[in-house]
Amino acid sequence: MTLAMKDALQSPHRTLGAPFTALDDGQVVQAFLEGNDRAFDELVSRYQVRLLNFIYRTVGDRERAEDLVQEVFIRIYRHLHRFDQTKKFSTWAYTIASNLAKNELRNRSRNPLVLFQTIKRHWEADHRPLQFEDSSSRPDDLFRKRHLRELVEQSVSQLPEHHRVVFVLRELEGKTYEEIAEITGCNLGTVKSRLNRARNNFAAIIQPHLD
Amino acid sequence: MNCCEFREQYSDFADGLLPPSSRAEADAHLALCPACRRFDAALRAGVTLLRGLPSVGVSRGFGPRLRRRLRGELAVRMPGMVGWSGAVGALLIVAAAGFIGWDWLETRAAHRGAGAQQASGSPGWVAAANSASHPGAGDPGLPPDLPRIQIETFHPLNSILVIEQAPPAPGQDRVRFDVPAVWGGP
Repeated sequence: MTLAMKDALQSPHRTLGAPFTALDDGQVVQAFLEGNDRAFDELVSRYQVRLLNFIYRTVGDRERAEDLVQEVFIRIYRHLHRFDQTKKFSTWAYTIASNLAKNELRNRSRNPLVLFQTIKRHWEADHRPLQFEDSSSRPDDLFRKRHLRELVEQSVSQLPEHHRVVFVLRELEGKTYEEIAEITGCNLGTVKSRLNRARNNFAAIIQPHLD
Repeated sequence: MNCCEFREQYSDFADGLLPPSSRAEADAHLALCPACRRFDAALRAGVTLLRGLPSVGVSRGFGPRLRRRLRGELAVRMPGMVGWSGAVGALLIVAAAGFIGWDWLETRAAHRGAGAQQASGSPGWVAAANSASHPGAGDPGLPPDLPRIQIETFHPLNSILVIEQAPPAPGQDRVRFDVPAVWGGP
């Protein structure tokens, strides 16, 4: 057993791509295309959490979001040899993720059983006992914070699908308008319009609770 | 600027993308309109809360599960071997085609030889081990109405057993069965 394998077995979350941490995404992609499989580990390490959070905030189901992130990496692996290396790898990865998330939402709206299972899972999560994360704060403050966090999450999930994607990409992922346009396949004007509506809707939902 | 106009341009205002003149109008409206001030404050607070939500991490099984799936991808695609497997496959097809062609030619040649042998008068009838008899074969132990078997050998490795019911009964058609046989003799 090699040292690298031992390392992987003992700490499966650690990337084996240590030599690649100093490279930018484009260089890591190039290394993979030249035959270095460990470069792909580095790409996974860099993007797995970011993509998971993006997809999770968009589809609202953590388990399903993880499945979709796996699918994103499978598609990247399959098609990386066709990726235009003059473009940003990040934008391409998010484009794949965005398409999968949108498909997931569309499938859910068509399949009552999938929708029921999602609702049921959320219901069970919502009815878990309160957990006090911060022992230094007062219980009612903690309750309020938790309530507000849940409210904010629900506000996002109530946004229409195409508004939600743009809102999450802008507010949580920090993407520029141009990047969002490329990821979603829309023009700049549409991105701005959707973002504006998403912000208006979000504020309208949350405002009564913050007043 | 009224409330409607302010809300329509709100995204650009929040992102600092308004031209200076429009920005000044928006600031002026905000200073005068409590509703739009509350709206702006709610959005900023909400986004701050949203960004403060804990980040979700991948589960412990994520990495191993992904590696298994990627190994499956590699097994299906074998990108490094595609070129080689194609060449080998083509070679095998050519070799198989050559063998089949050779076999067919040999078979035809042997068949012609067997036909010539027959034409020369050799009946090729053989009494089968258990049940065949040839009329007049001289085997007293076997009844004369059993089927007789002709072995047509047109290739050392390829023979056909021709089973004819003989003699046919009056009004009965002669029945012929062609049965491939593997010639395993010495």
